[in-house]
Amino acid sequence: MIEVRGIYKRFDDNEVLTDISLTINEGEVVAIIGPSGSGKSTLLRCINYLEPPDKGDVLIDGELAYRDFKGKELSKAKIASTRSTVGMVFQHFDLFPHMTVLDNVCSGPRFVSKVDKAEYQQRAKKLLERVGVAEKQDQYPGQLSGGQQQRVAIARSLAMEPAAMLFDEPTSSLDPELVGEVLSVMRQLVDDGMTMAVVTHEMGFVRQVADRVIFMDCGKIVEEGTPEALFTNPQHERTRAFLSAILSHTERTKPEPTSDPQTIVEESSYPIVLP
Amino acid sequence: MFFNPELALDALSTLSLGLLVTILLTLACGFTSLILGIFVALARMSRFWLLRIVVNGYVQLMRSTPLLIQLIYIYFALPFIGIRLDPFLAAYVGLSLHVSAYLAEVYRGGIEAVPKGQTDASAALGMRPSVIMARVVLPQAIRIVIPSLGNYMVSLFKDTSLAAVITVQELLFRGQIFAARTYDYFTIYTLVFAMYFAIGYPAIRLVIYIEKKLKRGYTAKLAEKPARDIAVMEETK
Repeated sequence: MIEVRGIYKRFDDNEVLTDISLTINEGEVVAIIGPSGSGKSTLLRCINYLEPPDKGDVLIDGELAYRDFKGKELSKAKIASTRSTVGMVFQHFDLFPHMTVLDNVCSGPRFVSKVDKAEYQQRAKKLLERVGVAEKQDQYPGQLSGGQQQRVAIARSLAMEPAAMLFDEPTSSLDPELVGEVLSVMRQLVDDGMTMAVVTHEMGFVRQVADRVIFMDCGKIVEEGTPEALFTNPQHERTRAFLSAILSHTERTKPEPTSDPQTIVEESSYPIVLP
Repeated sequence: MFFNPELALDALSTLSLGLLVTILLTLACGFTSLILGIFVALARMSRFWLLRIVVNGYVQLMRSTPLLIQLIYIYFALPFIGIRLDPFLAAYVGLSLHVSAYLAEVYRGGIEAVPKGQTDASAALGMRPSVIMARVVLPQAIRIVIPSLGNYMVSLFKDTSLAAVITVQELLFRGQIFAARTYDYFTIYTLVFAMYFAIGYPAIRLVIYIEKKLKRGYTAKLAEKPARDIAVMEETK
């Protein structure tokens, strides 16, 4: 579905990605973890060309997505239409503050695909229901909680009916008690068979839903494997150090149990054991 | 008594006509430069280097020379190379070009103030650069700069008085003529002063009001709720 071949990216003197290759198959959920500055987000941004890689190719459905085989950039229109097949959710939601919640969700179909208005409005309302913020449709993003905003952002992305979704630390800027509601929407997507790449620090979620975990450090893929293998038996010292650091941190900042049964299940039933 | 009410009453009709011309000139130039300014701002960020250089030169020229000279040049110098404009048109062109250059800078600041995440999010949805600009960036940028635009409009209103120099029959020009004829400079210019103030002051208050209102951010319209609910809400505050 998505294939990254030998991507390099540098910002000034800082080599952010070094020879990254990876494949995300259809229906697969890939979690990308690693310390901040390891290039996880940049990798996601390279996948939909928000950050053009210096070298290397991105293939979507087996075709070169943004550049031709000589490395020449495709037309802006072509790039835009490829991007519309891969949804992206950002750390800071980045909803459009000047549009209502409903207009935000309609923005993709309305400004990109020229679908019939009645049809995309109908679809947008359904999506808002699906992510549980239907009653907020006439409000502006600024009037919503962070968790609600992120759910709207997911709905906005889904409105384009993407074949795959990229999540760039979707819960990192949320208050701890709002993390659960966003993760449960993402879990729904996993259940629906969505192809996903998720950059996150929510190890419980990773363990629960990911088919494969990729650990990155200093712009390189250090190790990858099933959550089971990576969490219980990491092969590299760096992976081990990172996991033990982040898990002890998660332990300390674990939110108070909420009354939402789903959240409680998620917090308690997936203990992560390190060797 | 320095102020002569009878003479003032006499002058009022011709000065009112002048004020009308002043307001017309303000509205025409304001409307033109509010729109032209956007295009100048976009041109300065264009992919085409030639366009960027030409427009950049225009903006720098307008900003580094006095408006008075610009008006005088258009009205008195351009006829020598065959461009002959009547006074009102010359003032309209001169003021619009001048104000557009300044507004372009204001718009550019607004565009740059829109967070990068907005562009990223729109691009990720598959919007093209022109759509992103028109639908996402500009609406937010314009909102950011509305208070500045308002202040520039008030400045424009005052700057139209410079058009008196190129014989546009606006408020100051008519005041000058009337004063020169009656020698009662005090009465006439006091009246002219007061008439500028009568328009300028409410305009400034309006700008301040709008600025305060915009600070509240984007909120859902209360009008969609039944009016009674709102009344109750107001009372219980």
